[in-house]
Amino acid sequence: MTLTTTLIAGLVLGGTYALVAMGLTLQYGIARIMNLAYGDMIITAAFAAFVVQALPSMNPLTGLAIVVPGGFIFGYLVYVFLLSPLVKRAPDKATLEVDSILTTFGLLFVIQGVLLVLFGSNYTSYTFLNVPVSIFGTTVAANRLIALVLALTIGLMFYALLTRTRWGTALRAVAVSPQSAKLVGINTDRAAAVAFAMGTALAAAGGTVISMYQTFTATGGVVFTMKALIVVIMGGVGNLLGALTAGLVLGIVETTVSTYLDPGLTLAATYTIFLAVLLWRPEGLFGRRV
Amino acid sequence: MLTLDALSVRYGKHIALDNVHLRVDPGETVVILGANGAGKSSLLKAISGLVTPEPGVSITLDGHELAGVAPHRIPDEGIALVPEGRGIFTALTVDENLALGAYSRRARAGEARQRDFIFDLFPRLAERRKQIAGTMSGGEQQMVAIGRALMSNPRLLMLDEPSLGLAPVVVGELFDALGRIGASGVALLLVEQNVTISLELAARGYLLEVGRVVGEGSAAELKEDPAVRQAFLGLNA
Ligand SMILES: Nc1ncnc2c1ncn2[C@@H]1O[C@H](COP(=O)(O)OP(=O)(O)O)[C@@H](O)[C@H]1O
Ligand SMILES: [Mg+2]
Repeated sequence: MTLTTTLIAGLVLGGTYALVAMGLTLQYGIARIMNLAYGDMIITAAFAAFVVQALPSMNPLTGLAIVVPGGFIFGYLVYVFLLSPLVKRAPDKATLEVDSILTTFGLLFVIQGVLLVLFGSNYTSYTFLNVPVSIFGTTVAANRLIALVLALTIGLMFYALLTRTRWGTALRAVAVSPQSAKLVGINTDRAAAVAFAMGTALAAAGGTVISMYQTFTATGGVVFTMKALIVVIMGGVGNLLGALTAGLVLGIVETTVSTYLDPGLTLAATYTIFLAVLLWRPEGLFGRRV
Repeated sequence: MLTLDALSVRYGKHIALDNVHLRVDPGETVVILGANGAGKSSLLKAISGLVTPEPGVSITLDGHELAGVAPHRIPDEGIALVPEGRGIFTALTVDENLALGAYSRRARAGEARQRDFIFDLFPRLAERRKQIAGTMSGGEQQMVAIGRALMSNPRLLMLDEPSLGLAPVVVGELFDALGRIGASGVALLLVEQNVTISLELAARGYLLEVGRVVGEGSAAELKEDPAVRQAFLGLNA
């Protein structure tokens, strides 16, 4: 592989990481839910995209218009019925953290079980625009380029929504200080539900994008949860641009290591970065800006 | 305008406020004096809906009952709180803090006018609109907190120890600004331990001791009140 090919492959992977990490950072930063079922929501969306794109006159791109709003609604319902009772009874932040970890850990297996029943345990994939395209002197599959462009576009759209509108600024304000958010008239309960739902919508967008160029299985969610978590911590919890940048960095590092060193070292490299960040920059690579 | 009747607040077994009665007339500036732990913050939090008072209470603004109203609905009633410790959104810019101050429905129509008023009051904020609020000095952060509260276009502005931790010069500037806010027709309900400067600003006041109102009167009367003199000014009556 040439350097350019590696770089593009890294950006494709990294763009996906960035997209899903933004969703997780929304859920943790604003709704204060550490969602261990996050990766399984991504996988669910990949399967949903797989089903939807096979419908008459549909493809994965038009499928986004169904899967992403579907993810939002699913996330909203999970928050209202499963998580908000925990939020209401939790006397403090630490209790909510433990309760939400246990609950979403349970949810992980429920989602996985349903997927196993519906789709079995085999690797699944579909073909979408698997044609070579020439770019910067190398050839890449069109579906990967589309995945990259989609990941960045959707990620930046959500970023703009959260930073350029008063509505989005209000959501970020809840992350900074829930009590003060109430004082300016923000309904923090609803903000948390919306943030969790938006996070799930981003997971759904990520899952759809992933399904365009990668195989996936019902039990593959854990890896995505871990990767998203690593990117969130690298970028700084609650830091959206940090998640975006850290995602791209991680994708490029992983691809470079697997190309030039050994594919077997990819995970080791990932966790080395993660540990280094935790040890030396626990507030994330880019400081504390929300 | 604001009437508090039979306000009691308890945290578990601990009674923080015991049957407090209080009133603020339209456009009036009222101060609540009290030492640490007297229940001053609990009183303002009860009005803002942040703590739930004991049953039997009545909190009305122009006859409209506020007890039981969710905290995020209070700004729409025309009441804003500058909380103890300022409570600004430290990670957001000055502009974002002010924009969020105008989040409530009531605030939207007059937003531009309020912002002009605030920048006129605190020119420093106009120069620092893009600065992350958490990186500002204590006095500037207090300006952001007051500006954010004013953005909601309140009829009653409540402030919880705005002078706390600020240099005397800064406190002076801040109270000048509060005077201008009061002169613009907004009623002020101020909680303070800085007796001298707050009795210059306020027309009337209450003295709170371990959860009970133990004195009330005009600012002039309170200045001469032996309890106030002893408790705060370190003078013997
Ligand atoms: N969340 C709380 N839980 C338990 N006790 C509290 C809480 N908040 C305040 N208190 C107690 O209630 C009393 C009044 O507190 P507060 O209203 O903060 O007084 P002040 O603002 O006058 O210092 C104090 O004894 C304080 O320790
Ligand atoms: Mg206090």
